[in-house]
Amino acid sequence: MTEATVPNQESVFTSTARDWSSDITTFKGVPWGKAMMWIFLVSDTFIFTCFLVSYMTVRMTVTDPWPNPSEVFALAIPHELFGWQFLEAPIPVPLLLIAIMTFILISSSGTMAMAVNMGYQRNKKGVIWLMLATAAFGASFVGMQAFEWYKLIVEEGIRPWGNSMGAAQFGSFFFMVTGFHGLHVSAGVIYLVIVALRVGLGHYDKTNFEIVEITGLYWHFVDLVWVFIFALFYLW
Amino acid sequence: MATEGQQHPIKIYVLIWILLFVFSAVSYASDFLDDGVFRASVILLFMILKAAFIVAIFMHMKWERFALIFAILLPPLALLVLLTLMAIEADYAWATRVEYMGEPIAPEPNPPPTHQHKESGH
Amino acid sequence: MATAEIPYQETVPLHHPKTWLGKWVFSQDHKVIAVQYGITAMAVGLVALVLSQLMRIQLAWPDAMPWFGPDEYLSAITMHGMIMVIYLLTAFLLGAFGNFCVPLMCGARDMVFPFVNMLSYWVYLVSVIVLLAVYPLMLFTDVQPTGAGWTLYPPQTITAGTPGADWGIVLMLASLAIFIVAFTMGGLNYITTILQARTRGMTLMRMPLTVWGIFIATFLGLIAFPALFVSAVMMLLDRLIGTSFFMPAIVSLGQKLSYSGGQPLLFQHLFWFFGHPEVYIVALPAFGVVSDLISVHARKNIFGYRMMVWAIVAIGVLSLIVWAHHMYVAGMHPYFGFFFATTTLIIAVPTAIKVYNWTLTLWRANIKLTVPMLFALAFVLTFIMGGITGLFLGNVIIDIPLSDTYFVVAHFHMVMGVSPILAIFGGIYHWYPKLTGRMLNDTVGKWHFYITFIGTYVIYFPMHYLGFVGVPRRYYETALGEVYPDFYPASAHDLNVFITCAALVVGAAQILFIYNLVHSFFWGRKAGANPWGANSLEWRTPDTPPSHGNWGEQLPSVHRWAYDYGVPGEETDHIPQDVPRRAAS
Repeated sequence: MTEATVPNQESVFTSTARDWSSDITTFKGVPWGKAMMWIFLVSDTFIFTCFLVSYMTVRMTVTDPWPNPSEVFALAIPHELFGWQFLEAPIPVPLLLIAIMTFILISSSGTMAMAVNMGYQRNKKGVIWLMLATAAFGASFVGMQAFEWYKLIVEEGIRPWGNSMGAAQFGSFFFMVTGFHGLHVSAGVIYLVIVALRVGLGHYDKTNFEIVEITGLYWHFVDLVWVFIFALFYLW
Repeated sequence: MATEGQQHPIKIYVLIWILLFVFSAVSYASDFLDDGVFRASVILLFMILKAAFIVAIFMHMKWERFALIFAILLPPLALLVLLTLMAIEADYAWATRVEYMGEPIAPEPNPPPTHQHKESGH
Repeated sequence: MATAEIPYQETVPLHHPKTWLGKWVFSQDHKVIAVQYGITAMAVGLVALVLSQLMRIQLAWPDAMPWFGPDEYLSAITMHGMIMVIYLLTAFLLGAFGNFCVPLMCGARDMVFPFVNMLSYWVYLVSVIVLLAVYPLMLFTDVQPTGAGWTLYPPQTITAGTPGADWGIVLMLASLAIFIVAFTMGGLNYITTILQARTRGMTLMRMPLTVWGIFIATFLGLIAFPALFVSAVMMLLDRLIGTSFFMPAIVSLGQKLSYSGGQPLLFQHLFWFFGHPEVYIVALPAFGVVSDLISVHARKNIFGYRMMVWAIVAIGVLSLIVWAHHMYVAGMHPYFGFFFATTTLIIAVPTAIKVYNWTLTLWRANIKLTVPMLFALAFVLTFIMGGITGLFLGNVIIDIPLSDTYFVVAHFHMVMGVSPILAIFGGIYHWYPKLTGRMLNDTVGKWHFYITFIGTYVIYFPMHYLGFVGVPRRYYETALGEVYPDFYPASAHDLNVFITCAALVVGAAQILFIYNLVHSFFWGRKAGANPWGANSLEWRTPDTPPSHGNWGEQLPSVHRWAYDYGVPGEETDHIPQDVPRRAAS
């Protein structure tokens, strides 16, 4: 099995040609589940890119002005909390909530990466706690997204079918893309919790804990998508 | 098929973690720049950097064998074709809209959402 | 070299089901799932066949069915197209053939994740039920099946006046989204099995072409169906909560709708970004099946195996960048025609390589005109026929006068309707003995073949002429006859009657096929392990039909490609893949 675990010592072409022309497995040393997850992620990439390409097309096509996301998503730092006034007036900060959400998701990716590492060290306790931490970060991300939706719908009157600031598609794409991403995050949280529980119950003791890496792949992908949404939807 | 899997020092994850924080901070800061080519390039550059680091380090792509790397990274090239052509197409559609329907109009509040099939004729 | 790799499936025991339900209904055995897929696809295909017969009758004798009005006609067209393309062809070629052939031909015990594979079938069944639910609903409510045409172009799809614009379209889009989920679950399994679960000695370049076709087609499916999924979601939102992704500001029936600013062309682009690969999702497995059938029944190795593989790969890659040749008259960017016509014509090169290689395989071969071989030969002829009209339509200048005429109808029915169906029939006649242990009846099979093959030509040849005359597709007869009595020239109408008669005969002939399937299952001649003298691994299972786990104790080892037929200097006329090479003397 040394062949499978020594990565990329040959040149690009030799290595690729050898693996693709070998028998039994094409991706040497890659468990079935991991191969399947990678291919699924390619498919999912196409879904999100199609959403984003549609967003680009429609945004470039509409003749109504596009609302300025940096104003729409501004959040004011409150000037008082629980009756204690510490500022003269609320300070509006553009994209504050989104920035926090971004940092949270990146942190969750960090803990996830650590969990994978713990898995390969067979440190079950570390895996469980880090995965649960990841899930907690993910859940708080979804919570903030819910708050953001609430703010947009109730306070700013933005609807999927229209808004008072410009092109109707602004709301349509916002709710659809972030909603779809939020669904992925929520599914990821459930997936993480289930895997963490099963690790705790000892379901994977006989394996090499690849399941943690597979879960991690999915979770990092969700983070990856957010990178694109953050740049193309909120900042652009 | 038992392998040692992807084992790397924790240090590198922490490093990338910090790096991603910095990149995010920079792209967030780009929000305070003026609109223009520079801002757009900053946004895109840091988007791609962040994505590359997540895929390469967190998803361990850097340490995978080339066979897998190619299999994952080549198919999305089709999306670049779609992206390019749709950008050209959208540009053209916008031009025809302006050409045939006049200058871009000022926003007018959208009518309240009424469902088309429930509307009764006059 | 390090120690040899051990197939993972030799290290994990297979879990055998205990109950009848677990064996035959909620089975995780890929062969049972293949049969479930096949039967469901055929059943839903029969619905589409009946719909096409109704449309033909309407066109020939407009007064014969007063209950079949313009709305019903449009709905029938939509349902017929969608069912045939997605729920029959895709599901049969990948769901049934993919499930049956991939593990057997790769030497695997089962798919890599049998449970997900089983789920794939049940979700597919749900999508079929959601799709067909519209018919029972029609009886009790005023829900109509959507009549937007299988391409579902907005804005007409969801504006009043199109049948089913209220709820029929919702059911259709929901069903499509569910189908895509089902396909993804199955497709991930096929690909992972092919890539990661082959047996010893089975390199990619020793795989039978059937597996290659299924492999590339499945991969195309996994990256093309997302575009359909996305457009289905966006159109559902347009329809249900009034967003304007695809809907521009529009006046419908004298009313300004609440939509504004959407881009209808975007839908067409997304749809065909899925739709063109879809053509090859259907065609590539058919190519593979036909390559194997021709080689086996001509007792000769396939000509240019490597070229055949690379042609499949090249077609797969190119199919992703030709989509807008379906949209020459849609009003897209005028320069796109140049780009897409070029890429489209380039696809003809690998396709022609395949056709030449089939022909050269037949050259001086020991051709056995068995029923599967007849169907394979018919496939090649039909595919050339439909492919060449495709070259005409791929050119912008010729496409413009011909678009939306019966010429297009004839073209795509030949190339992606009849051809893959012929390949499916050929495949069924070929693999039925392995699946059931009994042969299909030869005489009935030949009758079925000749009626179907000649019949389809009688149906679709005249349609090319109708197209030249300018008869538009999707038109209902009487409505035009009343308004414009001279709309159809007499010759066109007479041809329509002629075509309908042929279509009724061909449709009825499929009863022969079903009779053959059922009758032979109980009373057919015993087949034995390898009735055709074929080389690929599925004919080398210890049991016929193969039992759960396929290979008994030991996985087979592969020593050669699947096409050693009539090798000079060998004793037997075929050498199966698991026979070791002789030591060099």
